[in-house]
Amino acid sequence: MTARQGLEPYEVFRQEKDGDAMRHGGSVMAPDPTLALHYAREMFGRRQESIRLWVVRRSDIAVLDDADLLQPPLDRSFKKPAGYPMRDKLAAARSGARARASK
Amino acid sequence: MTDPLSLAPILPERERRALRFNQELAHDARQDAFVEHVQAGGKVEAGDWMPDEYRAAVLRFVEMHANSELMGVLPERDWILRAPTLRRKLALTAKIQDEVGHAQLLYRVAEDLGKSREAMIEDLLAGKTKFHNVFHYPTRSWADVGVIAWLVDAAAIVAQQALRDSSYGPYARTMRKICWEESVHIMHGRDVVVTLVSGTDAQRAMLQESLDRWWPPLIQMHGPRSPREKDRDLFWRIKAKTSEELRQEFLSIYVPRIRELGLTLPDPQLRLDEATGEWRYTEPDWDELRAVVTGHGPASEARLGFRRLSWAEHAWVRASVLGAPSVAA
Amino acid sequence: MTVGDALLPATRSSLEILLLAMADDEFVIGFGDSEWTGIAPLLEEDVAMSSLAQDELGHARALYELLASVVDDGRSADAIAYDRPPEGYYHARLLDHERGDWATAIARRYLYETADATRLEALAGSSFVPLRDLVAKIRREERYHLMHAEAWLERLAGAEGEPRERLLRAWGRLAPDAATVLGPLPGELSLEMSGIADATSAVLDARWRAAIRPMLERLRLPAPPPATEATAGRTAHSAAFRDLWSEFTAVRLSEPGATW
Repeated sequence: MTARQGLEPYEVFRQEKDGDAMRHGGSVMAPDPTLALHYAREMFGRRQESIRLWVVRRSDIAVLDDADLLQPPLDRSFKKPAGYPMRDKLAAARSGARARASK
Repeated sequence: MTDPLSLAPILPERERRALRFNQELAHDARQDAFVEHVQAGGKVEAGDWMPDEYRAAVLRFVEMHANSELMGVLPERDWILRAPTLRRKLALTAKIQDEVGHAQLLYRVAEDLGKSREAMIEDLLAGKTKFHNVFHYPTRSWADVGVIAWLVDAAAIVAQQALRDSSYGPYARTMRKICWEESVHIMHGRDVVVTLVSGTDAQRAMLQESLDRWWPPLIQMHGPRSPREKDRDLFWRIKAKTSEELRQEFLSIYVPRIRELGLTLPDPQLRLDEATGEWRYTEPDWDELRAVVTGHGPASEARLGFRRLSWAEHAWVRASVLGAPSVAA
Repeated sequence: MTVGDALLPATRSSLEILLLAMADDEFVIGFGDSEWTGIAPLLEEDVAMSSLAQDELGHARALYELLASVVDDGRSADAIAYDRPPEGYYHARLLDHERGDWATAIARRYLYETADATRLEALAGSSFVPLRDLVAKIRREERYHLMHAEAWLERLAGAEGEPRERLLRAWGRLAPDAATVLGPLPGELSLEMSGIADATSAVLDARWRAAIRPMLERLRLPAPPPATEATAGRTAHSAAFRDLWSEFTAVRLSEPGATW
């Protein structure tokens, strides 16, 4: 329990069923983590829609959303499945193979 | 009354400058880029830069929605004690709990735009901000519980479903959760109504009287027609549909469902115009709507008075145990 | 053949009294808690109180249903819950006070929840299987109630000034009636002898006091005084309860026998 006074926002993450990722649900205002968990249960669990909840004091979250760092402008397609378009290339290879076999 | 389009900055200049959105652009170009972004279906998050007009418009919209959920608790609250069976009492308690829960979710969205919950509740209690017309009317019978949960919630959900794709991301996500929960309310309300319709003559009469009383506020609820091109909330994509589109949607789903139960609606002009596919109805009393939402409804003062009383009653809890309100902003 | 037929007549009537006492307690505290809907000190707390109210009413409903199956006179759970004159209700006097302020709500919740936990524990191994099964479910839900009540009692008792003063005033009003929850019930000896409960009221009272002593000492709160005129603890109801009764029966009495 903290000695801080006053309400502050806590972010709530919830897991819907076993094996799911924890997803952000929303936030609650609470004076400390104990009541934050109680309130998270009320706001995001009262319909039995969650099997696990996390609460994190918002001021404890470090955020990175800088596009220069996360979405760098130069080509990175070699890192992604979509960077390897195969359909046309494969069709050409197949017809080439067929042509060679029939010679 | 506050000017609804007041441009008074909500965040201090220093904080606004720190928010990132095309920082390298000059202010006007930044604003243009923002407009283009939202009009193309782009989303805005709480920490993003946004024009002051947008911030003020989202805040006003969400704040009024939150106020309505909070004030919407009171008409039904009286009937928690009077619910006639254990199951009805449980269902009604859970339904009203959801309304408070929705107020919490929405005030959280609004708080993150820069106005504290304390300030919002105090503005509400001082009559500076509004809440929906339907919550300015008294409840008179158990049938009201059914009519409110079925039809008031249905009219609200028609509007809320159109907000699930709002340009303001936190609001859109909240609306998805709220719509999911509200669908249960409509079923609870319809169940109460269908039970009364199938009951005694006195129960049916009670229901018809309730419907007659609630119909005018219901038909006013989405507001007067306004031209699409002049609506700034549509411009910013905070909402997606006009008042009239929402009203037509409500009428086309619910009028047949009401009539199939043998209930009548107190509007001799109400009919579907087959040629245009539009519902025709007697022009609602828009003066009444304006008077009601500015705090001159039959129960406005009683409801606000009750809220002021409980707000004052808990000042000691807020001041001590929950800590003084944040003065950082 | 009903669930009660295997019991001796004396045991059966004692069981009916026990079930009625428990069901009415949950019913009435559920009403008290539901009154906070919309007016608690914090929106989050409002939602929490409503959940507690729904839990208590759910327990009341399950207990009335069990009672209806034991009594087996054709009355439904709703009929038992609603269709009695105010003097026919059998809840503890602790629950007869007016709603009061937030400190009163917390004091009442703490005193009731701790006593109720002791009562449920005594039934956890009950020889009457339907009750044992129900108690197992109820106890799982009551854990949260206890956590909630304790969290707030700590906050109010630990905050100097107005919160603690208000709590002490509420405590002064409610604590003298706290022992009525575990007061003696007519025929309770037969409940113990048949193994329906594992002890009688005097033992339960001692267990409850032992359970709450450490927390009360830490928070410097006086122990609730011993029960007096205990038999009246469930029969003489206040004007506040009669007002509540006329509210909760109003719709039902407006059209007797109708379906709602």
